Amino acid sequence: MKRKIISALLCAAMVGTMLVGCGGSGDGGSGGSSDSGDSGSSGGGDKLVYWSMWSEEEPQAKVIKEAVEKYTADTGVEVDVQFKGRNGQREGLQPALDAKQQIDVFDESVDRVNGSWGSYLLELEDMAKDYEAEHGNATLFTLARLAGGGTLKSIPYQPSIFGFFYNKTLFDKAGISAVPTTWEELDAACAKLKDKGIIPITGDTTYMTSFLGYHLGRHLGQDGVKALVKDPAVADKVESGEIEDVSWDDPRVAEAAKEIEDFASKKYFSENIAANVFPAGQNQEFAPGDAAIILCGSWLPNELKNAVAEDLEWGYFNYPAVKDGKDDASVNHLSNQVLAINKDSKMADQAFELIEYITTGEFDKKMIEEAMCIPTDSANGDAWPTELTEVKTGMEATTGYYDWAVGAENNGDATSVLNESICKLMAGTMTADEFVSTCKSAVGE
Amino acid sequence: MIVGFLAPAVIIFSLVFLYPICRTVIMSFFKIDSVTAATDTWQFVGIGNYQKLFTTDIFKTAMFNIARIWFIGGLIVLIISLLFGVILTSGIRGKKFFRAIIYLPNIVSAVALATMWLQYVYSPKFGLLKSFLDAIGLHELAKTQWTAPEHVFWALLFAYCFGMIGYHMLIWMSGIERISPEYYEAATIDGANKIQQFRYMTLPLLKGVLKTNITMWSVSTAAFFVWSQLFSSVTANKGTIVPVQYMYMNIFGAGNAVTERNAGYGAAIGIILCICIVVIFTICNLLIKDDDLEF
Repeated sequence: MKRKIISALLCAAMVGTMLVGCGGSGDGGSGGSSDSGDSGSSGGGDKLVYWSMWSEEEPQAKVIKEAVEKYTADTGVEVDVQFKGRNGQREGLQPALDAKQQIDVFDESVDRVNGSWGSYLLELEDMAKDYEAEHGNATLFTLARLAGGGTLKSIPYQPSIFGFFYNKTLFDKAGISAVPTTWEELDAACAKLKDKGIIPITGDTTYMTSFLGYHLGRHLGQDGVKALVKDPAVADKVESGEIEDVSWDDPRVAEAAKEIEDFASKKYFSENIAANVFPAGQNQEFAPGDAAIILCGSWLPNELKNAVAEDLEWGYFNYPAVKDGKDDASVNHLSNQVLAINKDSKMADQAFELIEYITTGEFDKKMIEEAMCIPTDSANGDAWPTELTEVKTGMEATTGYYDWAVGAENNGDATSVLNESICKLMAGTMTADEFVSTCKSAVGE
Repeated sequence: MIVGFLAPAVIIFSLVFLYPICRTVIMSFFKIDSVTAATDTWQFVGIGNYQKLFTTDIFKTAMFNIARIWFIGGLIVLIISLLFGVILTSGIRGKKFFRAIIYLPNIVSAVALATMWLQYVYSPKFGLLKSFLDAIGLHELAKTQWTAPEHVFWALLFAYCFGMIGYHMLIWMSGIERISPEYYEAATIDGANKIQQFRYMTLPLLKGVLKTNITMWSVSTAAFFVWSQLFSSVTANKGTIVPVQYMYMNIFGAGNAVTERNAGYGAAIGIILCICIVVIFTICNLLIKDDDLEF
């Protein structure tokens, strides 16, 4: 009898524990951190919930927090902003949206938001009409519409461009008076730098597939690169002939590989180019002034602001044109983060108002100052950071747009091999012929 | 009463373990955009995901890498940890201090450890290895680029093994300390030296612990992810890619580009890894019999 009573008590205790453990408000938020401390209540609708891709300690997050505080003070609408970080956002957002968790606003890159999460977005054409007229940057809105399949479904902020940053002080030392606009001019500039004992080009392996993509893109155009790497997204268009089928046996591909091999043989690339795991190249070679040129995005000055040599003066030029290439230096990878509104949001108007606070006026200026980034608001068009002065020239000269890595990373099964092979080619441990045959086999050709 | 007592545990077990396992097996036969996509959007592909996996070079590379990590890394970790375990249980002074030092890397986050190895120890500009090799006159060897594609796998393996030795050493130590000192006293009286005692007494009596160690090593190797991710560029590197990393790329997308995603394909990778672990356990159980000795 006594054992039965104890068993019954234990059983009751276990069920009770289970109920307590499984109960609760149904709060979401896997990981990440919440500004208000209180996670978003599902379906409550009384509080705006914003999932951000930034990590809490990043300068962008700090500015967003300030914008949110001002928004709440002005409007009385509370905002639960959760800084998920890039991985947290990529892993957690879609499951949370599928589970109908309340998320009114979220951000990430323009391609991912419109590409991977496009079906969750509220169309913003009407809502953003006045905003676009007053604050909109024409290029960024074009990109946002392109990514949204012709419709505006996201509001751009934090624009960036991908190209060559250089150390002006080292260029002056080597007697280089004008930035290279063609591959031959880059060759000549690198030769001068090399003569002065300066490492001409460095970089991190992270961005080397972008280097390959850019170089192939100059020869073949972006569609050519996508066809070459067997991007599954364009397979139908290649089959139907809408996009030219480019093989690794194409002489233009061999030419592109030979040009990089030539640079490697002239020792223009850092001897550590294949061993520079991010951020070794930018932090240990470019920032201290050992290397003169680096391929990176316009976020680089912000990432290096506490690490650069005192005499480093920032310069930038677009990836140069190649002889008889399809694209010239006016086609570049321009990107940005975007803010989007969940189509199921019950607070879409408030969400859009919050987006305006973050991306315009005072807080756009703060973002420029704190994160050393390109202005979003066209009204702040003269407020570029001095470090990005030449980026402005490069951006204004851009009339055509590439995807990330010019599409060279679009076939996930081949990227690892392409990345390793280009690193080896640049390090001089692989010949151009070996490079082409390795990549050819990686895409199953 | 027994039903009421067991029900919560059974329900929780079913929800937390059984349901995900069944769902994963079913998912592996479908093409699915996202892990949480509604089932009516799933496209049945039969064994298509498995067929594609076995004909995809990068998956084969990932399996080869994980096999090398399991076998070579396993040998290194289990032998060195056994050696440390034997030394620390042999009555040396400062046992607690050395045990704490060797176990320390397990307390430090893998991210911090990997960053230390990548940005400091292996740095070709000012790395610990470079300085050390220069100091002992091996200047050519000091120029080695440990994180270049030719060496990055071994750089990763060495760094990972360094962190795992302490954990397995503790398991060995618990096994060695279970053996009664009286056996060793008797053996000493009979004239057995320390090496003979280790070879003919300690090793045979540690068979069960060896099985535990192989199990723990296999489980942690199958889930190998963070170290590979940190030793990679934004996307996985050919030299260090492992199946879980490839699974992640296929479920959440690879790197900065928007790539094709297929959670069913990822599920198939999970099932293959699971089968590998079951095979290893079965072989271990067949080869290592620990029920023939009682002590």
